[in-house]
Amino acid sequence: MTEQLRESLSALMDDQASDLEMRRLLGEFEGDPALRQTWVRYQIARSAMAGQPVTHVRFDISQRVSAAIAAEAPTARTTLRERWMRPLASLAVAASVTAVVVLGGQQLYKAGTLDAQNAPAIASGVSAVGFVNSLGAVPMRASYGAQAMPQLEPAARTAYRELARQRMYQYMQEHAEHAALNSPQGLIPFARVPQIEE
Amino acid sequence: MKYSVRQLACGILCGALGWVNVATAEQTACSDADTEALQWLSRMAKSHSEVAYQGVVTLQRGDDMQVVQVARSLAGGVSSEHLTRLTGQGAQVIRANHPLDCTHPGEGLLTLGNHLNEADNCGLARHYQFQVSPGERIAGRQSMQVEIRPRDMYRYGFLLELDSETALMLRVSTLGRGDKILERFQFADLNYGEPLQPRADIDTVHPAAHPHPDYPSNAPQLSVPWAVSWVPGGFTVTDKASPASARRTYTDGLAVFSVFLEQLPQELKPGEGLARLGSSLSYTRGMRLAGKPVLVTVIGEVPVNTARMVADSIRVLHQSAP
Repeated sequence: MTEQLRESLSALMDDQASDLEMRRLLGEFEGDPALRQTWVRYQIARSAMAGQPVTHVRFDISQRVSAAIAAEAPTARTTLRERWMRPLASLAVAASVTAVVVLGGQQLYKAGTLDAQNAPAIASGVSAVGFVNSLGAVPMRASYGAQAMPQLEPAARTAYRELARQRMYQYMQEHAEHAALNSPQGLIPFARVPQIEE
Repeated sequence: MKYSVRQLACGILCGALGWVNVATAEQTACSDADTEALQWLSRMAKSHSEVAYQGVVTLQRGDDMQVVQVARSLAGGVSSEHLTRLTGQGAQVIRANHPLDCTHPGEGLLTLGNHLNEADNCGLARHYQFQVSPGERIAGRQSMQVEIRPRDMYRYGFLLELDSETALMLRVSTLGRGDKILERFQFADLNYGEPLQPRADIDTVHPAAHPHPDYPSNAPQLSVPWAVSWVPGGFTVTDKASPASARRTYTDGLAVFSVFLEQLPQELKPGEGLARLGSSLSYTRGMRLAGKPVLVTVIGEVPVNTARMVADSIRVLHQSAP
């Protein structure tokens, strides 16, 4: 594996990869076992850091999903005004990439203790929304909100869960800035921030 | 210099920010238990400007435990605080020169207990039930225990244990369904008085932000002005965000959640995702707003149902023609 590829992969893990890099990585995933193995190692490392148990890592990248993503219209060159949106564009694709990698294989990690509310559903193999658990994805509690949620493909569910996790990292500090002034614990909400940035 | 300017502005305007709309609250009679608890909460909120201390606090979430050092000093009408991580990342958060008379909406909600008779309403007791009882010793101090149970499904319960002399919060447990402890902060060590210098060997020092209407943030502005059209009863905005700003934050005095909106440059399959850490939740929802794809994220210490309903209620504000 080239140094450039390794960098792209690392950028993907950090949600810093450009669309171009991601499309290239998707192509590379198909034919490069070493690259897949590196991705697996990165994911395992991240799961371990997050304190989540790592189970059955197996890959079978779905041609169908890969093709679907490749068929997406290429993103037009961003204008200056749109530049700040760029990370999200990458993230949307990053989520797709995660979905591609997970689909067809066992999920990389099971629900940790913090998913305790979902645990009974996993244990019984039946979720509130009737999601089949054989792919290893974690079922989502059914909506009690006003709008019915569309039934998602397992891959999309996993991608959304990944998005939620990434957003927690991205926004927790900004949330803590306000929680620190508006809840009784003083600066303590900052202790919840995964990585405090200056 | 920067701080002195902010300090002055805060003194003038934070009072206005701290004004909470109590006129809409229903007229309810407060029980004695609620009144006693609300007075404790009020004392707790005011202890921020009354006691200087230094201590070590643990944060427990599931199997994970973090340890932080916290300190507050009071001098010349301002408080200075710092929080230093003792485990994991070498980081420190500081808030220097925060005027003691600068109250934010969250504190305003907690100190309503002072005005129970004037306003003839029970403030937080509309949304929570309270029970006060003597507590155990924590960090060498005798505590009073305030049990706080939500009256609806939109917020978590809390068990607050306050110093029986100073009303400083010694331990706070966030309680989910079935009184499951989702998260617990606790003083392991506490010393009153002016704190010592914070420790060295810190890589990251973050000065905490002081959101303010007169200091427009440099946060991204969206092209679509939007509004959250539903929040659970008792929640109020923490700062005056512009209609096009990407974030809104709400508090009921005890719980806080923030809503973030991102405009997507390309379609994202509609759906929702959830991540949890202790009592914190991250709920993301891909949806369309004014015909354009957006990603809504709710981050905060509220149940997922609340986050979902808040996300459901996001609407586009139609600007009046210029």
